[in-house]
Formats: sequence, structure tokens, C-alpha cells
Amino acid sequence: MALLEIFDPKAAPRPIGIDLGTTNSLVARVRDGKPVVIADCNAEKLVPSVVHYDPRGRVIVGADAQRLAVDFPRETIVSVKRFMGRGADDPETRRLGTYEFVEPKTPEEAKSVRFKVQGRAVTPVEVSAEILRVLRSLAEDELRSVGGAVITVPAYFDDAQRQATKDAGKLAGLDVLRLLNEPTAAALAYGLENQKNGLFAVYDLGGGTFDVTILLLDDGVFQVRSTGGDSALGGDDMDRALAERLLQDLGVAAENRPRELVRLALDTARKIKHGLTENDRVEAEIEVPGGTRKLAVTRDEFEALIKPIVERTGVACRRALRDAGVSAEELDGVILVGGSTRVPYVRQYVEKLFGKPPLCDLDPEEVVALGAAIQADILAGTKERADEVLLLDVLPLSLGLETMGGVVEKILPRNTTIPAGARQTFTTYADNQTGFDLHIVQGERELATDCRSLARFVLKGIPPMPAGLARLEVTFRVDADGLLSVTAKELTTGVEQKVEVKPSYGLTDEEVEAMLMAALDHGEEDLEKRQLIEARVEAERVVLATKKALVADADLLEGDEERARIDEALAGLEEAIRGTRAPIIRGRTEVLDEVTHGWAGRRMDRAIARAIAGKDVTSIESTVAKARGVEAHLAEHAGHNAPDGGASGTGS
Amino acid sequence: MIDPFQTLGVEARFDLDPDELARRHRDLSRALHPDRYAGAPAAERRLSLSRAIEVNDAFRVLKDPIRRAEALLRRAGVPVGETAEPKPSPDLLMEMMERREELGDARRRKDLVAVRALTEAIRVREREVLASMGRQFAVSDPDSTKLAVVLPELGELRYLRRFLDEASAIEEELTT
Repeated sequence: MALLEIFDPKAAPRPIGIDLGTTNSLVARVRDGKPVVIADCNAEKLVPSVVHYDPRGRVIVGADAQRLAVDFPRETIVSVKRFMGRGADDPETRRLGTYEFVEPKTPEEAKSVRFKVQGRAVTPVEVSAEILRVLRSLAEDELRSVGGAVITVPAYFDDAQRQATKDAGKLAGLDVLRLLNEPTAAALAYGLENQKNGLFAVYDLGGGTFDVTILLLDDGVFQVRSTGGDSALGGDDMDRALAERLLQDLGVAAENRPRELVRLALDTARKIKHGLTENDRVEAEIEVPGGTRKLAVTRDEFEALIKPIVERTGVACRRALRDAGVSAEELDGVILVGGSTRVPYVRQYVEKLFGKPPLCDLDPEEVVALGAAIQADILAGTKERADEVLLLDVLPLSLGLETMGGVVEKILPRNTTIPAGARQTFTTYADNQTGFDLHIVQGERELATDCRSLARFVLKGIPPMPAGLARLEVTFRVDADGLLSVTAKELTTGVEQKVEVKPSYGLTDEEVEAMLMAALDHGEEDLEKRQLIEARVEAERVVLATKKALVADADLLEGDEERARIDEALAGLEEAIRGTRAPIIRGRTEVLDEVTHGWAGRRMDRAIARAIAGKDVTSIESTVAKARGVEAHLAEHAGHNAPDGGASGTGS
Repeated sequence: MIDPFQTLGVEARFDLDPDELARRHRDLSRALHPDRYAGAPAAERRLSLSRAIEVNDAFRVLKDPIRRAEALLRRAGVPVGETAEPKPSPDLLMEMMERREELGDARRRKDLVAVRALTEAIRVREREVLASMGRQFAVSDPDSTKLAVVLPELGELRYLRRFLDEASAIEEELTT
């Protein structure tokens, strides 16, 4: 079966799950109902997240790039994830690293940090896209055709970091189905849904990020109750602390360190860290100008060095528990995720913190990719009984607007279940004010300057009126990827403006397209091919969904006329799919979209009515048979329950 | 403003069973979440996103006793919001001021035990107010003139909430 699958030239595109990690990245898929990590021809599953730019303009990714890292510290980018979504002047970009950065000349350029490699500037998005491209081709070798992809992100990633990750996916030519939070992915991989119910904590300490998530599993629904963490805390910090110690032992002054030596010290530190997982004492040799030096580190010494780092995770864990309104004793289990949880001291710390031994039967480095593959499978509709599992995630950090005096007004608080929306009304503070500055920020601090700035825009065209009279309504919407869009509307005049909160450094779709074109060998021709494939995949998905619905919900069609319109649009689209022109396929997909719109609304009303009525399908069938929508259904429902003022009801 | 009770299809009452509410939210999410419509035409995906947002928002409102009370009062035509409601009694203001001073003292002394004791005392108080409001709503709803009697309690609840938020922030500060 598996062989046939691989060699079938008409193989259907298959969904994949990607763990784009700080240190290593992996790609997984579901085979025969089980998630598996895809290995390369050397049976290697982990692709080191290292990208090397060579003098001839070639890009080398993975283990080969890692080997070049020590000799070419400037041209080899490691841990690029730590730079995702960060501006040129972000302090995080200046910590113990070995890179050269391009100084920004314009505010536009300052929006993203840019590495200077081989005389050119590359952004973290572009570097990450190189890693994703390698993972994509790894998957293509096994699956022939890759459908959509689920890419995981740390739960604590802010909007800017998420947007950067999604851009990287697009730049790598992936159809990004969903960004999925890493701890949630891990919970899914553990197959907890088989246990039906319970309260779990996921402790995820990776190479450069830390997440903790408290989630409740209730009848197949994973409801994240709270999440917390630090998007700049991980195994890298242990390496840095140890490297610092090694450099001191070598007597190298802080102000006089060749990049090569720093990279070598970091490399040696990482090896010593790994060795200390099994041994109490590790010896290492390090090449310095003038000879080889021997160094030794004991586990006790290492633990003393990393203690403050590990203790920082405890702060986030306690806060997550408090936000979820639960105590550690109430947890049914604790799951360990991320390579850094292999460190014995981390395991002991987690056990002490939560008062129970953590679960670690799955490889902590693979578990996130496995969960991503399962979610991709669910979203592609290929997973059996997919409708029984659902992930309900939350917003990790509060979203707000800067108001007078630089104070933040929170619009959506952290740990709000997504997708989420909220609306707030503001007014003008000066007479005849015709523009309104909006500054969108993310974070928990009270002052806007202490929060992450996501976007600024001005609502223009407000007619002059006295202060306090204009009414400005700002609507925030966060989708299932955790990405924000904002609309602002002046209510007295109806002036409306919408911004995709493409935070600061974010790329426009046109920019992504241009970069894609530049990256492909044959530019335009390849791009057209890719667009045709994408349009077909999307169209086929829509045809399939529509046909399924025609079988299940034909009774909700309003007469033969609506049916005829849909059949016609379907036939037109199917004909276009057989052709080779992407714009026609897209156009006819939109036509089908248009003619099924009203019917789709009625079907959704039925889905709601069914959900409200529970399993008692026969009774609601009669209630909504005429499809008058949920309001009518509810009115009737209320009528039945409250004949005399309504003391009884659905609530009890 | 969309009626959150209607969105979730639950009876409009103050003393909702939290488990029942969570179950309803879960079942509706199962039917409406964008993940369910990942393969659907674009218009359907947009529709599912809007509906899922409405359901999540309604759930957030109904889970929170203050916003739940506001929703019930709005349904009955009673104006809500701090500017529309009667001023809090001087007794309450005085008491809250004293409590806040105690909290500030505890913070300065870095006395976590005292902070927790104050928190617990206010929580007990919160539970009492909630129980009383539940009784008020049960006998008065939806008579808007009678319902106005819950307004002082709603105001009190807001003060207690602010106190608890502050205490929680201080507790966090002292434990880190």
C-alpha cells in the first residue's frame, strides 16, 4: 500500500505538520491513521535549524550548515527563530551572538532585523523560509505531492512573531492551513482524547522558547484554559551561560572575543550540556590561539549555572495556573515537551513544581511535529472521526490600544478563547480633529511604550466637529491562527478603514509574491505552475465540500432554482479545473462561493440548532425543517419552556 | 448588541449552571469552529469565523457575573454602566478604602499571608453578593422597575472585582 502511494503519479496532495524549532525542525505526516516523522535518506528526522550562505550564493540548510557554523560564524545563522518578528533595535537581537546586522537607513527598514551575509541583507522570515523549503522537499520526496501545512509556533508568540512565521511559510511556497500552538500540538499527539476528560499542564522548554499551557480535555475538545511563557528563554540560554563560564575559564576578556571563539564556546557548551544528561562530569577540549585547552564541568556546576534560567519557568507556570483558576493538585497530568526537558535538573524541577512525575513517553523532540500532522489531517478532512476532536486555543497576550497619556486600554485580555472579537468606542479629544491616531499594542504592561507595538494607523476624513462628539468604533478580530485584524469606523459619518495588522515589519502579499518569484529558478513560469496547482487544490476542495453538502443538506435548498444555479456553477468549476488557467479556476470558485452563500448560512443555522438540541436529532429536524434560522428555533424553544413567566428552562 | 443568552441558546437567568454553560459552548464550538470549515468555500469560512467569534464572546460575557448581570439588565431595558447607575453608598466607599489601605500596607511589608487573607475575605464577600443577586434576579426579572434594586449590588461587585484584580497582581509581584 505504502509503495503504491509513493509511486502513484496522480497522488493526491497530502497534508503535513511542521515543527519549526529554534534548534531543530521536523516534518511529519499521518500514515494509516498514525502520525510519523518523515526522515531523510540517511534516516535523520531532525533538520538542524541552521542556514549557511556561501560565497557563490548557494544556501545550505541543516546538518551541513551546522558543520560550517564554527568556521563561518557570520554567514551561518543559527536559532533564527529567536529573531522572528523582531525589529532592528530589539535588544534581544544584540545578545551573545555572532552576527553582523545591516544598519537600517529608513524606519521601514528598521521594522525587521536584517542579517548581513555575503554582502546582502536577509530577514529572519527569509532565513526561516529556507528551512521550510528543505522540509517541504523532504515531504515531497515521500508524498510526491504536499497539500496544506500546519506550522507550529510557541504558544507565547505575539502577533508579530506569528505573522512572520506565516509569511515564512508562504515564502516557502506552502499553503499554510493553520498556525498551531506547540503545547496544544503536543497534547493532541499524546492522544489524550482517548481518556476523554482531564486537566493537563504542558511544559514546553525548547531551544529558544518556553511555553506552559493548562488545558482541559472535555469529551474530545481540548480547551486551553491559560497559557504563559517566555518567547526568549530556552536551552540556548543554558548554552550561553555555560559558554560564558568556559570563556572565563579560558581567560578571554569579554571585550576581546573573536566571533569564531564565541561560536566554538557555544558549540562546546551545547555538547557538554548533552553529555551531562547521562554523566556527572564531562571533559572537553577547546582549540584556542596557542594550543588546545582541556576543560571539565560537573553536573552540580552546570545545575548551579542554569538554576536561575529554570526558575524563570516557574514564574510563568504559577501564573498560568492562577489564570486558569486551578491549583497544581487538581492536574491529572503534566506533559514534557522540547529538547531542553531532557536535562535532568529540568525534570526534577517540573516534578517538584507540579507535585507529580511528568509524562514523557513520547520523544519530547518529536511530539510537536506529530501533533501538527494530526491537526493537518483533521483540517484536510482526511482523519477518521475528525469531528470528535477540536482544539480551542487562546490569545497568549492582551491586545489593546494606546489612549491619552500613553496608557493602554485593553480590548481583548490574555487567555481569551480564539477566534475572538471585541469592539470599543472612543472619541476625539480636540475640537475639529479630522484624524484619529490608532496605536495597536500587545502585552500586559500599563504603558504602551512597555508593550509590543503592532501597528499604527490614522483614521482620516472625520468632518470637523467639537471635541468628544465624534464616535470612533474600533473592532478587533483574532482568527483561529491567533492573528489580528483591526477595523475602525467613525459612527456619525460612517467613515470606515480596515487594516490587516501586518505588524510593522510584516510583508505584503505582493512582497511575498515578488520574493517567491526571485527564489524560483525559472521565475514567472514556475510561479504560474505553482499558482495553477494551488488554485486546483482549493477548487477541488470546494467542489468536494459542496457535493457532500448537496447530499446531506439538499432539503435546505430554496426550490429547484437555487439547486440549478449551484449545479451550473459546480459544472463550470469542474470544467475549469480540467483546464490550465489559474485565473479562470479562481474566478469560478468565487462564482460557486457566491451562489452557495445563502444556503451555507442556512446550513450553519442547522448545525447550531443541532448543537443546541444535543443528540436529539429527530426533534430538531422537525423544528428546523423549514430552516427559518436559529432565532426562530430559539424563539420556539423559549416558548415551550416558559409558558408562564419562565422558571423552568434549558439552563437546568 | 447581540443577546449572549440567545447566541448560546440558554435561558436568560442569573444563576446559570456553569457546567451546562461550558457544555453548550463546547457543543456550539464543535459545530461552528473554523477548523470545521477548513475545506469549505471562502464565504462559508468567513461565516464560520464570525459565528465562532459571536459564540466565544457570548460565552465570555455569560461566564463573568458582572457582564452577565449587565446583559440581563440590558434585556429588561435597565440602563447599565457606571455613569448610568446610582452612586455607591458612602459606607461601601469607606470600607473599600480601608481594605485597600490594608492591602497597600501588606504589600509594603511584603506580607504574602496578609494579602491572601484579605483576598479570601473579599472572595467570601463576593460569593455572598452573587447569591443575593441571584435571588433578586429570580424574583424581579424581567420587571425593569423591580430590577433596579440589583444595581447597588452590581456596583459593589465591580469594587470587589477591582480589589481582587489588584490583590492578584500584588500576590504575583510578591511570589516572583
